[in-house]
Amino acid sequence: MKNYIQNLYKWIDERVQLQSLVEFMGKKYVPVHRHSIWYYFGGVSLFLFIIQVVTGILLLMYYKGSEDLAFESIHFIMSKVEFGWLIRSIHSWSANLFILAAMIHMFSVFFGKAYRKPREVTWLTGMLMFFMALAFGFSGYLLPWNELAFFATKVGTDIAGDIPIIGKTILEFLRGGEDVTGATLSRFFGFHVAIFPGIFTVLLTIHLLLVQRQGMSEPLFIEDEEKYEKKKMSFFPNFLLRDLLLWLIVLNILAILAVFFPWELGTKADPFAPAPAGIKPEWYFLFMFQTLKYIPANIWFIEGEIFGIVLFGIAGILWTLVPFWDRKSFRGERNRFINYVGIFVVIYIILLTTLGWLT
Amino acid sequence: MKKVVIIIILSFSTSIRVFSQDKVDQCLECHEAIGDQPSTLFKNDIHQTKGITCSDCHGGDSTSDDMEKAMSKTSGFIGVPKGDNVSKVCTNCHSNAQIMVKRYNSALPWNQGDLLAQSVHGRLSISGKERIVKCTTCHNTHGIVSVKDPSSPIYPVNLPKTCAKCHSDAKYMRTYNPALPVDQLDKYRTSEHGILNAKGDAKVAECASCHGSHEIRSAKDVKSKVYAINLPRTCSTCHSNPNYMRGYKIPSDQFEKYSNSVHGKLLLEKNDFNAPACNDCHGNHSATPPGVESISKVCGTCHALNSELFASSPHKKAFDQRRLPECETCHGNHEIITATDKLLGVQNGAVCKWCHGDKPESKAFQTAKFMRELRDSLVSEDKNALLLINEAEQKGIEISDAKFKLRDAKQALFESRTMVHSFDRSKFQEVIDKGLNVTSTVSEDASNAIEDYFFRRWGLGVSSLIITIVAISLYLYIRKIERRQKSTV
Repeated sequence: MKNYIQNLYKWIDERVQLQSLVEFMGKKYVPVHRHSIWYYFGGVSLFLFIIQVVTGILLLMYYKGSEDLAFESIHFIMSKVEFGWLIRSIHSWSANLFILAAMIHMFSVFFGKAYRKPREVTWLTGMLMFFMALAFGFSGYLLPWNELAFFATKVGTDIAGDIPIIGKTILEFLRGGEDVTGATLSRFFGFHVAIFPGIFTVLLTIHLLLVQRQGMSEPLFIEDEEKYEKKKMSFFPNFLLRDLLLWLIVLNILAILAVFFPWELGTKADPFAPAPAGIKPEWYFLFMFQTLKYIPANIWFIEGEIFGIVLFGIAGILWTLVPFWDRKSFRGERNRFINYVGIFVVIYIILLTTLGWLT
Repeated sequence: MKKVVIIIILSFSTSIRVFSQDKVDQCLECHEAIGDQPSTLFKNDIHQTKGITCSDCHGGDSTSDDMEKAMSKTSGFIGVPKGDNVSKVCTNCHSNAQIMVKRYNSALPWNQGDLLAQSVHGRLSISGKERIVKCTTCHNTHGIVSVKDPSSPIYPVNLPKTCAKCHSDAKYMRTYNPALPVDQLDKYRTSEHGILNAKGDAKVAECASCHGSHEIRSAKDVKSKVYAINLPRTCSTCHSNPNYMRGYKIPSDQFEKYSNSVHGKLLLEKNDFNAPACNDCHGNHSATPPGVESISKVCGTCHALNSELFASSPHKKAFDQRRLPECETCHGNHEIITATDKLLGVQNGAVCKWCHGDKPESKAFQTAKFMRELRDSLVSEDKNALLLINEAEQKGIEISDAKFKLRDAKQALFESRTMVHSFDRSKFQEVIDKGLNVTSTVSEDASNAIEDYFFRRWGLGVSSLIITIVAISLYLYIRKIERRQKSTV
C-alpha cells in the first residue's frame, strides 16, 4: 500500500514537480501557543464551505427555483431521491455551522488583533466573506418556499426597506417588486447559486493567498508575556494533518446532526395566508431582530426601527474598518479598549439571541 | 206656521254652531257636504274617533267656516302631503311619546317611523325622491282602522293580500328586485298557514309574523327575522308556545329538538349556513310538513347521493308499502343526531335491528351484519395506518405523501357511509375494498419509512465508526511523524 502511494506521488511529482510545493509548505510555520486552537476555525469554515458547495451542487440536480415547484422539489428530494434527505439536512446544518465557525474565526482574529498591519486586507476579505455568508443564509432560507421562510423573508426585506433614502430601492431590488413573490424566489435562487458563489470564490482565493503569503499572526498579548517561548510547527504536514483531523470530527458531528435532527420542510408558503405567530429569523440575525423589537417607536425625531438599522449599519462599518482606526495595535501596543468592545459585542449577541430564542 | 217652525229650527242649529264653533271640524262639515270620499272614509277612521281633525294632518284652521281663511297658508294649511311628507305627518304624533301616551293613552310603539326608515321598504324609490313605502301604502289614508279590526288591510287575514299588491306585481317588483319571486301569495295559499288564514284564522302566521311589520329587512340581512340563523327562533315564537299552538294538534318541542340536532348545532352554534333551517325542509311561504313519500327528496336536496341510493334500494318499496317516512324512520326528524357507525348493524342501538333483528337467518340481517363488519375493518385499518404514519413522523421521516394518500381511505369511509343507503352488499364492499387497498399501501409505505429510520441509524453508526477510525489513525500518524521529527531534531 505504502509503495503504491509512493509510486503515485512519484508519478505526479515527475509531471508537476510536487516536491518543490511540499518543500515550500514544509518551510511554512504556524506559531504554537495556548491560543493556537483558534487558528483551526478558519480551516473548519473552509471545510464547511466546501461541504456547502458539494451538497449545494447535488441539491441543484433536483431543485426547481420557481414559486410552483420549489417546495415540491425539496419535498421530492427529501422523500424520493436516494439519500436526498441526508444531502439536504447536511446542507442546512452545514450552513449554520459554517456561519458559527466563521463567527468564531472572526472573533478570534479580532481578539488576537490579527487584523493589524500587514493583514488589513486579509481581515477585509474575511469580513466581506462573513457578510456574504449571512447573505447566503438569508437567500438560501427562502429557497424551500415554506411558510416560515416566506414570512421571515418578508420581515427581513421589510427591515431592509427601512434603510433611509435607499431602503425602498433595496427592497424592490431584493424582492423583484413590491411584495415577496415568485420573482423574489427566482432572484434569491440566482444570488444563492451564481452571484454569491462567484464573488465568494474570488474573496476566498485572495484570503487564502494572503494567509499563505503572510502566515499566521501571533497575538500581541502572547508576545508580551514574559515566559513566552516562541514555538512553531510546520504548516505541512503537522498543521494540515491536524486540520484534517478536526475536519473529520466536524464531519462526524454534521452526520449525527443530520440523522438525529433532520431539517424540517414545514408547510408550503401561501402568500395570502396570515403570518403565523412567532415568526423569527435565523439565529444569526436574531440579536438584531430582537434589538429592533426593544427600540421604542420613536427616538427623538427618528423612527425607532430606522434608528436601530442605522446603528447596526454604523457598528458593522466600524467593526469592518477596525484595522484602520485601531492605531495602538497598528503600532504593536496593547489596546484594552478593543478587548472591551469585543467582549461587549459577544455578550450582547449571546444575550439578545437567547432572549430572542426564548420569547 | 210650518215655515216659522223651520226658521226657528235653522236659527237654533245655527246658534248652536256659532256657540260651539271650537268643537266643530269645519273641514269635515264642508267636505261631507260636498260628499267627497276622504271625508266619508274619515268618518270611520280611528283617528277621527280619537278627536283628531283634518287640520292635524293637513294644517289650516279647522274652526273657521271661511274656506279662504281655513285653507290659507297663514293658518298653516299644507294641502295633501306628498312623498315622504305623508309618513312625516304620521310620525309627528306616532313617534312622539308625549302625544301618544299622555294625550291618547296609546300603547303603540313610538319607533315605527324609525324602523320603517331602516327597513328594506325605507330605501329610496326609483324616483330617488321618496322612500319606497309610506305609512299609507299599507294602512290606507282616511279610513284607517285598528289592526284588530277585520276591515283593516293589515288585519292578519287581510295582510297577505295587502303585501301582495306590490309583491305579486311582477312589473312593479322588477323595478326593485328582479330576482325576487312574485309568487309568494300563491305559495302561501298552499301552505298550512295560508289555508287556515284563508279560512279566517287570524292566529296563523302571515307575512308580518315572520318578516316583521315596520322593521322588515331583506332575507339576506343578518338582522332579518328570516335570515337563516334567525329563522328557527322566528318560527319558534309560535311553534314553541304550547298555549298558542293549542288547538292545532301539533307538538311544540320542534325548536328544542332541532337545537339539539346535528343541523341545529351547525346552524345555531357554528353559524354554518350549509345546515338547514326550518324552511329548507318545510318550505318558506309554502311551509308544510313534507309528505311521507317525499321525505327522501327533501333530505336529498342536500344529501343527494343518499337519497338516490335509497330510492333505488329495496327499502324504498318496503317503506312506501308500510307508509314509513323514509329517512325519518332511521334518523328522526327535528332531532337528527350525527349518524355514527352505531346505527349500522344488528347489535343493540343499531337501527337495522328495529326491523330485521328478530330474523338472524334473513338476508337483511346478514347484510346489516356484514356491512358493519366491513366498515369496522376499514376503520381499524385506517387507525393502524395513521398510527404507523405518526410513528414515522415522530422519528423524523418525511412521509407526507403517504399521509396525503390516507385521505383516500377517509374518503372511502365517507363513501361507505353513503353507500349503506344502497343496502347492497357488493356495492358496499367495492367501496370498502377501495379504502382497504389505500390503508394497505399507506401502512406499507409507513412501515418502510420506519425501517428507513433504523437504516439511517445503522448507516450513521457505521459511517461514524469509519470516520472515527480514520480520525484516530490520523491522530496516531500525526504523533508518529512528530515523534520522528523530534528525534531528527
